[in-house]
Amino acid sequence: MIPVSVITGFLGSGKTTLLGRLLRDPAMSRTAVIINEFGAIGLDHELIESSDESFIQLSNGCLCCNVRSDLVLTLGDLAARRAAGTVPPFERVVVETSGLADPAPILHALMTDRTLSEVYALDGVVTTVDAVTGLATLDNHAESLRQAAVADRIVLTKTDMPEAQTDAMRLRLATINPGAPLLTAVSGAIAPSALFDCGLYDAAGKQADVQAWLAHEAAAVAGSHVHHHHQDDITSFCVVREQPLRAVTLALLLSALAENCGADLLRMKGIVHVAEEPDRPAVIHGVQHVYHAPVWLERWPSADRRTRMVFIGRNLRESWVKSLIDLLDAEVADEIQRRAAAREPEIIAG
Amino acid sequence: MIAGQDTGVREFLADSLALWRVDGSVEAGALPVVAVVRAGGATVWVERPAGDAPWRWFVRWRSPEMQEERSRPCASLVGLLNAVRGALGVERGNAVRVVAAPVELPPLRQRGRVGVGAT
Repeated sequence: MIPVSVITGFLGSGKTTLLGRLLRDPAMSRTAVIINEFGAIGLDHELIESSDESFIQLSNGCLCCNVRSDLVLTLGDLAARRAAGTVPPFERVVVETSGLADPAPILHALMTDRTLSEVYALDGVVTTVDAVTGLATLDNHAESLRQAAVADRIVLTKTDMPEAQTDAMRLRLATINPGAPLLTAVSGAIAPSALFDCGLYDAAGKQADVQAWLAHEAAAVAGSHVHHHHQDDITSFCVVREQPLRAVTLALLLSALAENCGADLLRMKGIVHVAEEPDRPAVIHGVQHVYHAPVWLERWPSADRRTRMVFIGRNLRESWVKSLIDLLDAEVADEIQRRAAAREPEIIAG
Repeated sequence: MIAGQDTGVREFLADSLALWRVDGSVEAGALPVVAVVRAGGATVWVERPAGDAPWRWFVRWRSPEMQEERSRPCASLVGLLNAVRGALGVERGNAVRVVAAPVELPPLRQRGRVGVGAT
């Protein structure tokens, strides 16, 4: 599988500078790059030195609006050319979105397209935020908030400038997305290893990394078990459950989240103790209503066998999620009892 | 026990209205009505049927523009929420979509798709 990383960030936040610097690193030598620029005449690709044919510019409009016709076709074409040997055998793809892009449709396309999923796997989202104008941008542009909220890594840029509001930005970003490591890059200088391989595309082989992936949970456990952040209408919290969840409860939970939260659920990820598989935790990951099928780990990554789920959303209430799980679990338990009383012992066994 | 559960259901429905950004109220009703939801001129009665009913919830609703009261049995809390959203005209998310997990697959040759029939 070829990991795909998405670099997003608002206009002028330093995406292209970051990418240009990253591509100079030998570790990035086998990387295909797709740049999406909003407008008929793109310039960003001119700013990044590359003679590689696997360097592609999309300037038909905003990627998140044309994601099926642009990104999916481009990635498919790139894979075919790689297989045919007409482009170098790249081992990673980086997609730079336009500054106005909502990352969610792009993540959906990467997660849901059947043909792409045989070749590519979403690694993670890197979001650049400008320390000089970032606060105002977060106040005034919903796209900027969404970009920060779905990030797996946030890169604070322009922190070397006198007008930089670095501390204030750190506080603000910690409330929007406390689980994402907050890094800084001056003039795009940052090691690729700090930004990539942060996803779960090979979760089964990266047991130890699950804890890092659930970084918000780790932070929560160190504090009060559950963190609540309300700012900019974005809520982030971690639900921890001691009792295992039945598989059917988990399925009902995902349905209820998708149908009731809609686009307000920006991101959800978790490690779940499923009652029917006590020794193998299930890793779940969703963006809005789209979820990966659970990835079953071979074993628990630590002695902690509690279910831990991280939610990032808009107008999302922790109490609603907790009550939903409690009520669904009680309902499923009651249904099992009812069926047992009606002499359907196979339900209990299953 | 049921009374405590019913209080929890009402609180959950009130939280659901907030989640959906609907101004409304949730009150207790006379059994078998567990909750009465009022919002935007519509009234929704959520009932917990008797133990031998083949469904878990029964939802009735009426709004000023409706000629007759409507109803829907629901097999689970997920269906109940769906019915209440429908009764209140709440446009929310989509049905859940679960996609293939990003797992490593063996090469095509090892999966037997290549070389079939070859000697």
